[in-house]
Amino acid sequence: MTQVKALILTGFGLNCDHETALAFELAGARPYRVHINSLVDGTVNLADFHILAFGGGFSWGDDHGAGVIQAVKLKNHIGKDLLGFVDAGKLIIGICNGFQALVNTGLLPGLDKDYTRRSVAITYNDCGNFRDQWVHLTANPESPCVFTRGMGQADFPVRHGEGKFIAEPDVLTSLQANGQVVFQYADATGSPADGVFPFNPNGSLHDIAGICDPTGKIFGLMPHPEAYNHVTNHPDWTRRKEQLKGEGQAFGAEETIGIRLFQNGVDHIRERFF
Amino acid sequence: MTACIEIALKQSLGDAEASSLVKKADSYFKIHIESARTIHMLTIDSDLKTQDLERIRQEIFTNPVTQVSSLSPLEIDFHWCIWIGLRPGVKDNPGATAMEAVEDLLGRSFGPDEGIYTSKRYCLSGESLTRSQVEILAKELLSNPIIQQYKIFSKADWHPETGANVKPARVILDHTPCFDFIDIDSDQTLAKISDQRNLALNPRDIPVIRQYFLDPEVATQRQAVGLPGPTDVELEYISQARSDHCNHNTFRGIFKYTDVMTGEKTIEHSLFKTYIQQPTLALKQKKDWVVSVLWDNAGVGAFDEHNNYVITGETHNSPSNMEAYGGAITGIVGVYRDPMGTGLGSKLFMGSFGFCVGDVNYDGPLKPPLHPRRLLNGVIEGVRDGGNKSGVPTTFGQTLFDPGYIGKSLVFVTALGIMPRQVKGRPSHEKKTSPGDLIIMSGGRVGKDGIHGVTASSESYSENTPAGHVQIGDPYTQKKMHDFLLECRDEGLIRFITDNGGGGLSSSIGESAMISNGCVVYLDKVPLKYPGLDMWEIWVSESQERMTIAIDPKDLDRFMSLSRQHAVESTVIGEYTDTGKLHITFQGKTCAYVDMDLLDKGFPAWEFDAVWLPPAARGLTEPVIRRPEDFNGLMTAMLARPNICSKEWIIRQYDHEVQGGSVIKPLVGVNHNIPSDASVTRPVLTGNKGLAFSQTLLPWYSKIDAYHMMTCTVDEAVRRLIAVGGSLDHIGGVDNFCWPDIGYDEKTNPDGRFKAAQLVRACRALKDACMAYEIPLLSGKDSMYVDGHLEGAFGERIKVSALETVQFSATSVVEDILHCQTLEPKSAGDFVYVAGITADELGASEYYDLFGKTGANVPQVNFGANRVLYRAVEKAMGLEMPASCHAVGRGGLGVHLALMTMAGRLGMEIDLSQVPAAAETLSDDVLLFSESAGRFVLTVPPDRKPVFDKLAKGLPFRCVGGVTDAHDRLKITGVRNDVIVDLACADLDKAFNKLFGEMI
Repeated sequence: MTQVKALILTGFGLNCDHETALAFELAGARPYRVHINSLVDGTVNLADFHILAFGGGFSWGDDHGAGVIQAVKLKNHIGKDLLGFVDAGKLIIGICNGFQALVNTGLLPGLDKDYTRRSVAITYNDCGNFRDQWVHLTANPESPCVFTRGMGQADFPVRHGEGKFIAEPDVLTSLQANGQVVFQYADATGSPADGVFPFNPNGSLHDIAGICDPTGKIFGLMPHPEAYNHVTNHPDWTRRKEQLKGEGQAFGAEETIGIRLFQNGVDHIRERFF
Repeated sequence: MTACIEIALKQSLGDAEASSLVKKADSYFKIHIESARTIHMLTIDSDLKTQDLERIRQEIFTNPVTQVSSLSPLEIDFHWCIWIGLRPGVKDNPGATAMEAVEDLLGRSFGPDEGIYTSKRYCLSGESLTRSQVEILAKELLSNPIIQQYKIFSKADWHPETGANVKPARVILDHTPCFDFIDIDSDQTLAKISDQRNLALNPRDIPVIRQYFLDPEVATQRQAVGLPGPTDVELEYISQARSDHCNHNTFRGIFKYTDVMTGEKTIEHSLFKTYIQQPTLALKQKKDWVVSVLWDNAGVGAFDEHNNYVITGETHNSPSNMEAYGGAITGIVGVYRDPMGTGLGSKLFMGSFGFCVGDVNYDGPLKPPLHPRRLLNGVIEGVRDGGNKSGVPTTFGQTLFDPGYIGKSLVFVTALGIMPRQVKGRPSHEKKTSPGDLIIMSGGRVGKDGIHGVTASSESYSENTPAGHVQIGDPYTQKKMHDFLLECRDEGLIRFITDNGGGGLSSSIGESAMISNGCVVYLDKVPLKYPGLDMWEIWVSESQERMTIAIDPKDLDRFMSLSRQHAVESTVIGEYTDTGKLHITFQGKTCAYVDMDLLDKGFPAWEFDAVWLPPAARGLTEPVIRRPEDFNGLMTAMLARPNICSKEWIIRQYDHEVQGGSVIKPLVGVNHNIPSDASVTRPVLTGNKGLAFSQTLLPWYSKIDAYHMMTCTVDEAVRRLIAVGGSLDHIGGVDNFCWPDIGYDEKTNPDGRFKAAQLVRACRALKDACMAYEIPLLSGKDSMYVDGHLEGAFGERIKVSALETVQFSATSVVEDILHCQTLEPKSAGDFVYVAGITADELGASEYYDLFGKTGANVPQVNFGANRVLYRAVEKAMGLEMPASCHAVGRGGLGVHLALMTMAGRLGMEIDLSQVPAAAETLSDDVLLFSESAGRFVLTVPPDRKPVFDKLAKGLPFRCVGGVTDAHDRLKITGVRNDVIVDLACADLDKAFNKLFGEMI
């Protein structure tokens, strides 16, 4: 096995599978878009992959809570495979709807290595509406999260109606103590948004935008790194280009921080498994 | 047995839905609610064991972190409780997903008599609340009687054990399906039956229909299959096919056009053929990139070497006027099926919206079915849920206000798809049905919903309009089907595909069977939502999320296996033949048997009288307005106007970047809050090509002359594309006409002839504009009868017609997206240029409207001059000369300079005397607010100025000022050399966000 194989879930209303696959491809992995039913009926075996991506979308229309039915279905049918995947030290990333599904399966936050307990929730935005906007994120340098290694700040879009991260105070304390808070919404200077809208777009407690499990191998976040797969995705790219032009520099070839996030995951697999 | 699960957020958590109710109650109705909570309810109509009920309650329907739930009514205190549930038969999407989840978890299937139904109750606290206030909230805010029912409980009414006592909203028809023979002994009889059965047959069609069925040869053939006379199924088929919605009788009609002033008399034999088809076909000859136009569900253009793009636009006006959310979500989800059913099927990659509504603060006596405010909220949410849940970015959208739209508001939805040019070695844009192909229906099931939707949208709204045709689209079911069908396409399984929209199977099979020349359909095979539908109902039902597909019988197993994998229901419901007959059976009995060419049997064209009175003859003159003194006040007043001000709160509710291809977003500028000229998207993520997309709506100019409305609309759409980096070499267009009734009637439509003339003129203008800019019309639709008869203060009904409106959508392929540009000035020291000539063209402008005036000097488009100018701008953009580029639109230079200032957060210093003008005598207000077409504002850095100036030589480009970081103000010097506008960004922001700034 020389290829890092990434499985991206599809079907039942999921919808970011193509760009998530592209992001993995740009990061050097071989992506496989796999219908949830193919895992359920055993046509595809999860153990054959290194990275599992729960992507964005509206699984089951987000009726009855975002990511809820997806979580129940996966737990019900391939719960053991998922735990085996985690035990094998492989990587799981959940983005937006995928993050919601991960917290509803209990794979996150995985406190005390209990990967079945729901102890945090992602609920309706304080603003009361679905919202698409780019956010500034600040990464926690103390976090064990493998996807954000070496990252300081990042800009990604959020696109959700249910993105407010909540948990009981003791859970929040544990998350912080374990370095499980990976990304926080920030202002333009990179300081945590301190709940201020629209920097914190949904009212998440402690400005939490993404968390990982204690090992750093399961990662969930509301913003969409795969939507920053090209320099022109960034809302400020035309200004940045003019600025670079003014400085006599070229624009357009650099890798985005969105792809770097996936790259970190792929590199980790290469280091550990090959 | 019925069980009910009640679910609520924990008391410690904020309830956004309830808070929104409290807020709206106060701001809309001045009803004060102290606090409110929402309870979600699931009524389970099944005999599940208690342990199973407990299991699903805990494992599926309750989030232990955020929610509490119970199998008995939750004890949440209230003064009043409002329960809202759907009427039986209305699509309950969360009910369906709940059922799917329960079936999966418990490993059992629900039988036909079982189901899960969702509803809600709101617990309202407030000592002072009265029953009548609570009634208002239930009726005017929380429910719509067309789709919902409500119950109100006071504290005293409430029984803690039975609670809201919800009965399952199961449909029980208790009817044995059948078909009827229709009596056609005279034209009068048939006309009467048409009325009674809501067939909406045109009186002029009736003799043709009778003649066909009375033809002895036809009668003999029909006798042989057991049909003595026409059946209701057959007449419904004819009615659907002949409806204005499906057949476009208006655009194919005969217009006798008279210009009263010149005496010019012309006969227009078909507006469609003359002004849409003929120019488009001529341009197709010239333009290699035009792949497929004028026949399929959407037009097809070349995108790159390996892919084609697909585009179409629709309106969903009538249903949205009665049930805004349901109508709008059905509209967007419906238009998304068109690209899925174009060629062998395309993958959706973007959509857009256009909303035209009445004054959201209207407090006059007229009673539209829904208040504009409520209607707007509903359509925003409907298109939002439909688009977002389809996983398709909504990259562009506009919202307009005009008093005319209170009669009928307009909901435009546009869809674009992308498909590989070749599928298994076959061109993807070609398809056909052949004898022996199986007819498959995939997706949703058929119910009573949507019956007679097509014929209802072909009539104006009145108190008799049947409301039963309102539906609620289901993007979840459709998204599953979308993914499934693309896999089938890529495996080469699809021979023909089309969607079920207006007219249902009647249209989709009726039209696709024309290709093979016949079909036999087994209506009893069609999966139903509930039993008891008559044959004609199954045949014409517009139940959503369905596609009709032709496959080779040898591919059936593979097709069905993919269908199961994707959890999509597919059913073989017939076969294409070459018998020349549309043959429909039910349980072996024939219920329709007509010739495929029946619709060519000499049905008469519709005829209209069109009488044109030029603006001067109608007494339109310029208002007399002396030069204002307070330009700062004027500028902020303009920016605050509903049709100019920020609609960020609407645009942000739409996911505009899912699929990862966003290049130019709908909102741009430093603060990401200024509407962009156009959007640019990469539908193919591995390349650097983009698709630029713009839309324009300028209905106000129709007040003066719909000809110029049309030319200005097309011109602005083109200019918007050029401003972001599009090219004149490739511009595709989509026209969506929305027109008030043009059929003259002395009593009911006395100005019908004028409106007909306006339509003729708009069509002529469309051709002129398309030929000038070489725009093939890739797709287009018309929606007539945008009028309403609204009840007034004294029980009278007043007809209110919408403005003659065309939404024009335009596309361009951008060769290298890195050349794209946005409208905000980027750097201090850059020069500001105005390109294009400003003339005294304030007719029907935003400026005149500020004073309640119309005027006469409507902007006129000089295509020849514009073409040269646009080429120069395009070239400059390709060379990356401008650091920003913006098309000047509604509100004129003043408004658009303000938008650029707000976007760039830099100062702009402008000298109006330098603006290229048609005359030296133009005053400051004309220069600032004239809406002359053909203009851009650009900024150019000093080092690129020499090359830019060379490029612009001899053309109306003038440097009018500069960008500075010495301040962040818009400073405009007037023609008398005095500073007339001096406003900081913050002042501009304040005005721009005044109306809707509070909304998020």
